[in-house]
Amino acid sequence: MAGRPSIPTISSALIAIIADEDTVTGFLLAGVGNVDLRKKTNYLIIDNKTTVKQIEDAFKEFTTREDIAIVLISQYVANMIRFLVDSYNRPVPAILEIPSKDHPYDPAHDSVLSRVKYLFSAESVASDRR
Amino acid sequence: MAAATEEPPASTGSVPRVDEAEEVHEATEGGRLERDDDDEILRFMDSLDGYLLLMDSLSSALRLGWLDLASARHSMGTSRVSSTLFDHKEQSAATKLQVVDSTDIQSSEPNPYFVLSKWHLEEKLSSNDAVSAQDTKPKLRFRGSTTAPEDGNHQSDAALAESSACVDTSSHVQRARSKALSVYGALVSPKLRTAQISFETALEVIVELANSRSNMLASFSQIKDE
Repeated sequence: MAGRPSIPTISSALIAIIADEDTVTGFLLAGVGNVDLRKKTNYLIIDNKTTVKQIEDAFKEFTTREDIAIVLISQYVANMIRFLVDSYNRPVPAILEIPSKDHPYDPAHDSVLSRVKYLFSAESVASDRR
Repeated sequence: MAAATEEPPASTGSVPRVDEAEEVHEATEGGRLERDDDDEILRFMDSLDGYLLLMDSLSSALRLGWLDLASARHSMGTSRVSSTLFDHKEQSAATKLQVVDSTDIQSSEPNPYFVLSKWHLEEKLSSNDAVSAQDTKPKLRFRGSTTAPEDGNHQSDAALAESSACVDTSSHVQRARSKALSVYGALVSPKLRTAQISFETALEVIVELANSRSNMLASFSQIKDE
């Protein structure tokens, strides 16, 4: 407990979104859109012209910004940068993989569930306790 | 051979009791640890179940939102409901989050807790408090100089203040919602308003999901540590 890293209390943090146009439009209607002084937004719209590099850069930017507490990413987009999403393990910002219009949510691909699913394998638990 | 076989029972007259006590102590200690383990595993399974249920609710809320958005696009036209209309001027998000460190779980994993603050309501309420505090000062002085009012008046005053605060809050939310919709014009399809509500619901579920996720990871790390 003594070595437990503490999380600073943030009074007004943002929600970032990396998703298709309709999902981003909906969340902007709900009031999460933010544009700062340098015209940087807290969302990225994914269409068929968006490159994997752009998604990677946006993901890295959103996960390193201190004013962002949750990053919403469509699961099909997360699948494009799976290596990055799976290797991310900080508590804040929290990464949440959400369904999109054409791609329903699949628990088998969720990075959080992948992290914890090995508990369900009896062999892995036994080997840990040995 | 016979002496050798007879000796042990004689010499172990008191020792077995100590051993038994130790065994019982170890057994109770082990039992307690096992119970703790079981509790933690149950907590983990609960949070996992909650996470999957919330993800199901999120899918439903999003589906409703997409359907309403598609209906709005159908009635208003594709060009009027498009990402090209997004406002790229400097603006602050109306819906934000508060993050606090939840310390109730004894775990090596940090356990952040997220609270949704919709439509600047926190700021609005705090400014209202400041205004009402200023308003009440003269009134209290006035009441102090006259005869004490009846209890019924006190209650009705409180009820009035509460209802006016509710009306004020709801009108503030309505204004904020209209402001968000104003990007798409002054007269928008009612379906766009319904889509807005659906995505607001989705946001509430997302915050619950984030909390469930952090509980799940905290329980998981504790099970792993043990």
